[in-house]
Amino acid sequence: MERNLHIKKSIFLEPGRFQLMDKHDPTHHVQGRTKKESLSHEERKKQLEFQKEAVVHLNSLYNYALHLTMNPSDAEDLVQETYLKAYRFFNSFERGTNCKAWLFKILKNNYINRFRKNSKEPGKVDYDLIKDFYHSIKDIQNDTSEAESDYFHSLLHEEVYQALHSLPEEFREVIQLCDIDGFTYEEIANMVESPIGTVRSRLYRGRKLLREQLEGYAKKYGINTDNNHNNQ
Amino acid sequence: MNCQKARVLMSAAVDCELSFKEEQGFLLHLSECKECKNEFEEAKKTKMIIKEKIVQFKAPQTLINSIMELTSFSTIEHEDTLLFE
Repeated sequence: MERNLHIKKSIFLEPGRFQLMDKHDPTHHVQGRTKKESLSHEERKKQLEFQKEAVVHLNSLYNYALHLTMNPSDAEDLVQETYLKAYRFFNSFERGTNCKAWLFKILKNNYINRFRKNSKEPGKVDYDLIKDFYHSIKDIQNDTSEAESDYFHSLLHEEVYQALHSLPEEFREVIQLCDIDGFTYEEIANMVESPIGTVRSRLYRGRKLLREQLEGYAKKYGINTDNNHNNQ
Repeated sequence: MNCQKARVLMSAAVDCELSFKEEQGFLLHLSECKECKNEFEEAKKTKMIIKEKIVQFKAPQTLINSIMELTSFSTIEHEDTLLFE
């Protein structure tokens, strides 16, 4: 029922939101209506399965895209493209494997193709960009129940975020996939196209670097990192 | 097991990705080596901080709508009909 409401809203209140998808397939609305009667049982089955398997990971994908692009608008575009591609190639998704991992890999490839070609040198961190990004996101999220009003907690989120993004990409990536998105080493190895041993050592070194960063912040602000995670 | 080998296994130990045999050896080493034990505790804590402190945002409603639209072509006309009934 809730899903249907989304569809109504999307069609009648915000027609301009679909420019990106219309660009890829300008006739899909017309086709959708005229061919409705002839849509095969298989196609409907595919849609339902796609919603059940793939659409449920929307929030995770959006957050992954935010981490990669550090820009909410680019992140939205990236997620849209990912789902469009995933839907088209859903038949090639190996049933029984982790659909979230499959989607993450598509998103990462899209990101590389679309954004990284023109980006600055890899490995260089723009702290101002991270700060701006974080504040823009916080402003957007202010009306949600998840927003933090407590300054101490807000600061700490930002520090951890900043520390994570200060790591070289190869370390940040595996930490993110493991600690935030909960993938197994085998899935991560497949995603970053490296052996499991490499995933292990990157996680080891990455966490060590991260800890040093956090200790640096803690000293700077007089915070005791030992108890950070207990103060929520 | 020596410290070098224990460090190789450290992250996998934090993430419960060790085989039974590896875990036995690793835990035995920790019981004998304070330095590695401390490092293990710190690594676990770091993982916990990341898990708990990195904010997970909700996808914007406009994005949710467009993804739902993508996977609901066949229901569009049906929804139109319902709306004008």
